[in-house]
Amino acid sequence: MLSRSAERLYWLARYLERTENTARLLSVYMNLMFDMPMGVEVSWRNLLTIFGAEQAFLKLYEIPNEQNTMSFLLTDTANPGSLFSCLNAARENIRTSRELMPDEAWQQVNEMYLFAKNNVDTAANRRGRVLILNEIMRGCQCFTGFLSGAMSHDDALRFIRLGRSIERADMTTRILDIASVILADDRSDKTRQYENAMWMNVLKSLSALLMYRKHGRHRIRSGDVLDYLLKDPDFPRSVVHCINEVEAYIKRLPRSEVLTDNLATLLSSLMATDIYHITPVQLHKLLDDIQVRLGVTHNQIASTWFLAAH
Amino acid sequence: MASLWDNYMVTEAYDEMRCSENQARPSSSRLSSYLGTLDREALDVRKTAADLAIMEMGITFTVYSDEGNIDRAWPFDIIPRIIEYREWLRVEEGLKQRLKALNCFINDIYNEQLFIKEGLIPASIISSSTNFLKECVGMQPRFGTWANICGSDLVRDKDGTLYVLEDNLRVPSGVSYMIENRVITKKVFPELLQDLDVLPVDDYSAHLLEMLVSIAPEHSDIPRIAVLTPGIYNSAYFEHAFLAQQIGAELVEGADLLVQDDDCVYMRTINGMEKVDVIYRRIDDQFLDPEVFRKDSMLGVRGLLRAWKAGNVSLANAPGSGVADDKVVYTYVPEMIRYYLNEEPILPNVPTYLCSDPEQLVYVLAHLDELVVKPANESGGYGMLVGPHATKKEIEEFRKIIKDQPRNYIGQPTLALSTCPTLCDNHLEPRHIDLRPFILQGENSFVTAGGLTRVALKKGSLVVNSSQGGGSKDTWIINTGT
Repeated sequence: MLSRSAERLYWLARYLERTENTARLLSVYMNLMFDMPMGVEVSWRNLLTIFGAEQAFLKLYEIPNEQNTMSFLLTDTANPGSLFSCLNAARENIRTSRELMPDEAWQQVNEMYLFAKNNVDTAANRRGRVLILNEIMRGCQCFTGFLSGAMSHDDALRFIRLGRSIERADMTTRILDIASVILADDRSDKTRQYENAMWMNVLKSLSALLMYRKHGRHRIRSGDVLDYLLKDPDFPRSVVHCINEVEAYIKRLPRSEVLTDNLATLLSSLMATDIYHITPVQLHKLLDDIQVRLGVTHNQIASTWFLAAH
Repeated sequence: MASLWDNYMVTEAYDEMRCSENQARPSSSRLSSYLGTLDREALDVRKTAADLAIMEMGITFTVYSDEGNIDRAWPFDIIPRIIEYREWLRVEEGLKQRLKALNCFINDIYNEQLFIKEGLIPASIISSSTNFLKECVGMQPRFGTWANICGSDLVRDKDGTLYVLEDNLRVPSGVSYMIENRVITKKVFPELLQDLDVLPVDDYSAHLLEMLVSIAPEHSDIPRIAVLTPGIYNSAYFEHAFLAQQIGAELVEGADLLVQDDDCVYMRTINGMEKVDVIYRRIDDQFLDPEVFRKDSMLGVRGLLRAWKAGNVSLANAPGSGVADDKVVYTYVPEMIRYYLNEEPILPNVPTYLCSDPEQLVYVLAHLDELVVKPANESGGYGMLVGPHATKKEIEEFRKIIKDQPRNYIGQPTLALSTCPTLCDNHLEPRHIDLRPFILQGENSFVTAGGLTRVALKKGSLVVNSSQGGGSKDTWIINTGT
């Protein structure tokens, strides 16, 4: 397949996964905030931290309250990382690679885009926002469904899944980063009291609650949750699972020999880390390292297969 | 209940659906009476459904001067245009005949030039044509076909005669909209299509693929086909992507292709370089190859012409085909049919006055207020004068331009283009239409069942181009069995 097409499909998948993850995260975070009593050190600002967007936010807004944070992360197209911006970018990538996939896939993304565009105003209130986020999450799932049911499992789909898995691993590390806030040594007693509720929401934001429970851990404890979301080989959004997938897709693509070392290093250092006895600072550093390694793999993908490689 | 037809006024133009205020043409009677049973509200519901489908299917086109918003929804009118099957059979034959003759002509012009030697066309018309490419002299594409894909514009005059207005032999567009229009109609009027014998249009892609395979260089067993687009900002990008998808070809931009030292064309893929055998190019000649044509072209592929001349890649349409896509050369098509095919033309040309001919020029200048004057080489309805609709000032400006460059202009009588009922603010009014069927010629010939009907949405307007406020309609070739 064309290098140009591979690049567009990869980015399509990344942007769409980012769209879906953002929707899920915003939705869970809203739920969490509705539950939290006053005086707990979890704020809308933490949400900006997860997206690494505090500075960008302050350029456009002053106070990180619910209204501003939500508008910045959801609808504001001046923020390249907002859900709507990601959806626009996904749509532009699929609009320019329609010849590669089933029509329904394009129509699904296009419908989502039109839906978002027509509902910008309703996103200002909580109820409207919930509806939009649900619709977006549903739409992204439909897209994934169309592809697995109607697209050959060929190189084109491998680039889509490659983009999706890298983005997914990246997002999981970002969400877990909030643990460094939850676990901070100087947290108040009141925060400690709500710790369980927060971990539960972390699991929910990755659609992992049920699977975690079925995994045999009935209680929700920080060490268990972290270990599960980082290392479980079977859960589709755990970091290890995503990296294994990236590796599998890469190996089936042509000329991929040089790409596996970096992933192997990443996996072995992650598996060697004792998650149960990690300090918040060490955790933050570990997550950072994973993100940097994922960045290296991304660059290798670009320089092996994309147009710039020629 | 008030009928939609109550206030429908046929004009002096030929109406495709109604022969008088109260009477439908036989081929349209079923559709006509069906529409009569709908009230305005019901019609509006269908119109809304069609608009929604267009948005969701993402059927778009781009307007060059539009900033910001890249793609615009395709303006579609839900009332179909009907042509009777028996009439269509004749048109189909006429179009095949025409393209065959045009290809013979192009092949002749780049080789022996018998048409000139026999004195059938002045040599100066060819030598002064900007579309004649000396680089193509001596080439013989497979089956002698240069223009493999042609879109001819047909118009119907007052008396019901269908004329060929022009033949687009360079990069004609619109066929994807023809196919998508039917998809929408199936959603909007499913019950009607069930009861009527309407010819399908979606077999075009299969024929396009067959044609492209047939013209591949002989050494390629399973030819690799690519559609070459100027890119995502081109007004017809939607169509390029649509066609590439329909025929399973790669959609490439110039930067994806490379001509290597062996004079073969390769595309940049994730496996490295892969050879391309047939290119359906949607880029104008002038931008095709910066090595030969415009040096500043960012859209083309350096060395493409070299590869084509070496016989390593087939290009559809072949470079230089545009020599026959010129409104002056157009006037010689009936003669081409007689000369090359030894047949009488089935479809008439619109009478045309050549400004290059001193006598005809005098006539044109004296009748500017009655004629349509067009540049010989432009497409898209740009730079033309519609005499009866023009102001005195516009006419005088044109007079000067024509006198300066007579070779570049032709004049034609202003035809009263036929009309078709069209939905205007939830009632029906007659609007002028034309028809662009698409003709393929490789090893075999093929004509689409109908084509793209374009409609001038503005009352009284004769300009149907989508870039200038035109829309389109689904076109039904109906077999009434009578």
